[in-house]
Parts: sequence; C-alpha cells; structure tokens
Amino acid sequence: MAETKIAVYRFMSAGCNGCDVQILECLVPRYKLGELGIEVVFTPEEANVLAVTGSLNIKGAEELKKAYEKLKPPRIVVAIGNCATTRGIFSEGYPIVGPPDRLIPVSLYIPGCPPRPQAIVSAIAKVLGAHLDEEEDYWKAPEGFRGRHEFDVEKCMACGACAQVCSSDAIEVSDSDGKRLIRINYARCTFCGFCQDECPTQAIRLTREYHLSTDDKETAYVTNEVEMLRCHICGSYYVPSEQIKWAIGRIMDKVAAYRDLRKRLEDAMQICPTCRRKIGNIENAKRLLANLTIKTRKS
Amino acid sequence: MPRIVCIGPYKPQLLEPERFQLFVENDKIIDVNIELGYVHRGVEDLFTKRTYMQNLALAERICGICSGVHTLCYAQTAESIMDVEVPDRARYLRCIYMELERLHSHFLWFGVLAHTLHEHKVFLKVMTERERIQALLEYLTGNRIHYLINTVGGVRRDITPKKAERIRDVLKDMKDLSNYLLMLLNNDGVFVEKTEGVGVLSRSIALDVGAVGPTLRGSGVKSDIRRDDSYAAYGEIDFEITTEDEGDVLARTRVRARETLESIRIIEQSLQNLPEGEISVKPGEPLEKEEIGRAEAPRGELIYYIRSNGTNIPERVKIRTPSFANVFALTEMLRGDNIQNARLIIESIDPCFACTDRITIIDRNTGRRQIWG
Ligand code: SF4
Ligand code: SF4
Repeated sequence: MAETKIAVYRFMSAGCNGCDVQILECLVPRYKLGELGIEVVFTPEEANVLAVTGSLNIKGAEELKKAYEKLKPPRIVVAIGNCATTRGIFSEGYPIVGPPDRLIPVSLYIPGCPPRPQAIVSAIAKVLGAHLDEEEDYWKAPEGFRGRHEFDVEKCMACGACAQVCSSDAIEVSDSDGKRLIRINYARCTFCGFCQDECPTQAIRLTREYHLSTDDKETAYVTNEVEMLRCHICGSYYVPSEQIKWAIGRIMDKVAAYRDLRKRLEDAMQICPTCRRKIGNIENAKRLLANLTIKTRKS
Repeated sequence: MPRIVCIGPYKPQLLEPERFQLFVENDKIIDVNIELGYVHRGVEDLFTKRTYMQNLALAERICGICSGVHTLCYAQTAESIMDVEVPDRARYLRCIYMELERLHSHFLWFGVLAHTLHEHKVFLKVMTERERIQALLEYLTGNRIHYLINTVGGVRRDITPKKAERIRDVLKDMKDLSNYLLMLLNNDGVFVEKTEGVGVLSRSIALDVGAVGPTLRGSGVKSDIRRDDSYAAYGEIDFEITTEDEGDVLARTRVRARETLESIRIIEQSLQNLPEGEISVKPGEPLEKEEIGRAEAPRGELIYYIRSNGTNIPERVKIRTPSFANVFALTEMLRGDNIQNARLIIESIDPCFACTDRITIIDRNTGRRQIWG
C-alpha cells in the first residue's frame, strides 16, 4: 500500500440516519477503523473517499455532485446501505433521484439496512488489501440475526407468497421456459423477515451472513428456480409442480375422505385454469342440450 | 445591515444535512431561517402504497435513531383501527425495547455534544459504551437499528430468561455511564461552563411554541406522554418525569442524563413484573375509521394519524414528529444568543431531520417561508 492516508467524508441524502450512526460506530475502537489508518473528516476538500448514504433526493443531488468534485484523488466513492445501493424501500418516493451511482461513479457497495459496522470496516479493509483480525466474538452476528437469505431448494415450491408480503418489493417472481425464478435482491431488502415468516414451507431463512460488500450490485441476489407444470390440454406452463403437490398433500391431510380421490384430483390439476373453465363450459352446454332434448320430447 | 451566516447543509459536522441561515448583528443572532429537505423521501405518500404490515418496515425507516418508537406508535394506531387488544406480556416487552432505544438515543446525543465541545475522550467513552446497547438490541431483535420488534398486535420476539440476564448485565454498566455523565454535569468542567445560560427557552415560550420532550421538560414543564396518555405498560410502572427549570442547554442536557437512569428503572421493573402469556395476537380486518396515536419518543411526543377505508392499505397516514415541534423552539432559542453558540443550541434539541423533513411552513401574514421542506 502506498502511503496515502484515507480520509472519509460522509454524505447523506434521503436516508434514515441508520447508516450514518453505523459509520459513527465504526469509530469505536473495537471496530478497528483507526487501525486501518482511516480517519473521518468534515469537509470534502480534506477527503479522498466519499461515503454516501441514503437514496438521494432532488435536493441532495446537486450537493452530491459538488462534494464529489471537491474530493482529492483517488476519489473513491463507497455506497453504504441499501438506500445508497438501490434506493431500497424509498424506491418509489417522489423526490428520489438516486441511487447515487446514477450521478457519480461508485466503486464499492456495502448492502445492509443498515450494514453492521463490522461489515463496513471489513469491506474497506478488503479493498485496501489490509488484514483485519476478526477473531473476537462480536464479529460473528448473533443467533437470530437477520442477514442475507438462503433458500432451502428442497422445500421452496416457488409459490411467490414471499413476494406478496415483502416490505420493500425486493422479491421478483418471473416465469420463462417452463421454469419459475424467484430472485431476492438483498441490496434492496429491509431484512424485515416477513418472507421468512410467511413462507408456507419454511423454505426461506435469513442467515447470519452480513458481509455483503460487492463492486457489482447486479450480483446481490439470492435465487431459486423451480420446474413448472405443463397443461395437458393447451400445453402452457401454468403453475410450479411442487406447489400442486403441496396443495394436494394439504387437501389429503385435511379431509381424509378425499384420499380415494387422489388420482382424480391429480389429473384435474394437470389442466390449467383457463382450459378447466372451458371444459366446464362444455359440460354446461352438454347439460343444457340434454335438458332441451328432454323438454322437446315431452312436448 | 445584519450579516448572514449559513450553517450547512453539508458543511458542519451535524449528523444530518440541513441548512440554517442566521441573521447576525454584532455576533448576536437576530433571526433564523431553517431550510430542510435534504432528507425528504415522500414517506407519507409511500405509506398509502403498502399494506398495514408492510408499512411497519417503512415507519421504522423514517428515523434510524428512534426507529422503534415509530413502529410502536404506528402499530398502536393501527391496532385501534383494527380494534385489537395487545397481550399483557407484549405491553411490558414494548416498554423494555423502547427504553433501551431511549438509552442509546440519549447516549448518542451526549456523544454528539461531547464532540461539539471537543471532549474527545468523553466522546469515545460514551460511544464505546453506548455501542453495547446497539449490540444488545441486535442480539434481542436481529438488527442493530431496524429491530422491527413491534408488530400490529404485539411484538415479534420474546425475552427469554437468558436474554433478560444479558439485559441486566448491560444495564449495570449503563448505570455507571449515566452516573458518570451526571457527574460531568454537576461539577465545574467544560460541560457546565459551555452550556450554562446558553440558548435559554423560557417556560412560557416553550409552551407557546409547543415544544415537546426533553426540550420542554428542560424548561420546567412536567409533560411526558408515557404518563399523560399512558400506553404499553407505562401506567403500571413507577418512574419519575425529570424536569429542570433553567431552560438552557445545560438543563436540557441534565434532563436527558437523568432520564437515562429512569429508563433503566423502567426496564428493571418490566423485567421483574413481566407477565406470562402470548406476545402477540392476530389483528382483525381494518375498520373504516380514523385514529390518532401518540407515544413519547426520545425527542418528545410523536403522533400518528391513520385514516382507513376498510381495505388493507391505509388511505392516509400523517405523522407529527417531535423534532418538528421543537424546531420552532429552536428559532426562539437562537434568537438573541451569540453566534458562537449556534451549533451547540441547534444540537441541544437533539434534532432529527430524518424525521422532520416533510414540511414547509409559510408565515400567513408575510408569506415568508420559515422552515423549508
Ligand atoms: S439503508 Fe436502511 S439504515 Fe441505511 S439509510 Fe437506508 S433505510 Fe436507513
Ligand atoms: S426480508 Fe424478505 S420480505 Fe423483508 S424486505 Fe427482505 S426480501 Fe422482502
């Protein structure tokens, strides 16, 4: 490492403060920011690193550009927190123009809401090529910590319940080529854990993993792919196979009397709702026809 | 001709961006303009695009310091909309979580004060100790700041005997910290010297401009929502509402420092008397009505208003945060004081602009904008 001192200037616009408090906490000796020879300064002119937090609103935008211009080389920008990475939960906010990388080049993203101070210090150390002893207990996230998600691929049936309850629109469900893809963008997530609570098969778990820094935010996803079922009549893919199995299983559990009907239920489920409706209509038509015939005979 | 001094938005070491325009004559502040908006996110609008449950995560993110009380106040208001009764255990647990939050918020504020007074050693000590509460909350709830512990109908995580032990452990050290801070405020050091007689807010003006929380209590008014309009389990817990009469920065500082000891007492009692039972109930359907809820945030009275049209998405949510109420008091405190003290005075209301940044105030008579959002 060359002997350039690292001086960080913090810039916030349209965040909640949470990340800013975490940056302050990095100054606490046990987080070793000092050991890395990093100091926090109060004007952009003194700084060569810019730490941005918040999803950036229209008012902060000009100020951000100004601050960036004033930085000394090498002018490194670090986006701290999910707001600064993807706009996070404020994505649809009307005054929001961020994330900051729309205006200035960002070299490192540290997702989290907020990221632990440990995550911030450790990410910076990694960039500097410095070694940090992360032996002490507090480097491990405690049990019950809500960090990056993990899918249990055996259990996930791609029903999409998680996407419905997500507090931050962080989960996408998309179907293509006979497969359904569930994508969790943990750089947009609030780590609320609603997905974990709501999943009917307990297939999503928020783990204790919190080292999420990356220079490419397109990699900040956890995904799972599940096969879809094909309709026997029209041939379109319409529902994840596992979901059907799960649904039938539930019905069997709930109403024992239906057990004999399993085969017929399974067959019925091989047909997509659109076709099922059509068949229903055919039957109605047949019944109507039959009734009419009987009536004509009588008269 | 008065000279205009600008503080901010991004220059001073204020935790958040905001801009103060001070009109100064012979070093005396004669008028103030406050320009906000750097933290504006359109939160009230976002509230009407999500379900009641999803909004918990949003309410919390209004502020990264008093996040918990936002979810509490929101949840309580939503509970009235859905007509649910929170179980007893949850009411006590809420007190524990909220007082832990008050502790770290007040300590953080003290850290900022020490920083402003260039007392680096005290700053580091307070921040180091305070960080333990943040770590404790992380252990209890799963996140350092956005605990998402309150939910509509109760709380999401219980406190087991093992966790209670850990809380008691941390509290022991926090008591020492509180006493240390009180000691600093009771002898002749920098903390008294620099803050005594600065930024005075008289009792009558404090009441007139509608100040809240420690800012109001520092001017001798005994007002605290935890007592005045008691919620959670506060009505069943013994604690003192601390007040000081002088109305200066020192008084506000003392109120907060003494309050930390009261918070510790509240947590101890809640742990002691924690009722057995469920920690949450499933809320029913939202009824078609409007409700107002209040809670005592670390900075003072927080108000939520929700109008429901019976669907699972609120029709309108309006929030009045304590810092907003106190900004008016701030103008009064600054007026007449020395420009040297400006930053100290601004900090003495413990402003949280992430909370406040949603408004513009225009003087009806002059059309002049006093607070810009
Ligand atoms: S990422 Fe989360 S903690 Fe950080 S500013 Fe945004 S809302 Fe706050
Ligand atoms: S934890 Fe799950 S539900 Fe919550 S924001 Fe993240 S992805 Fe969405």
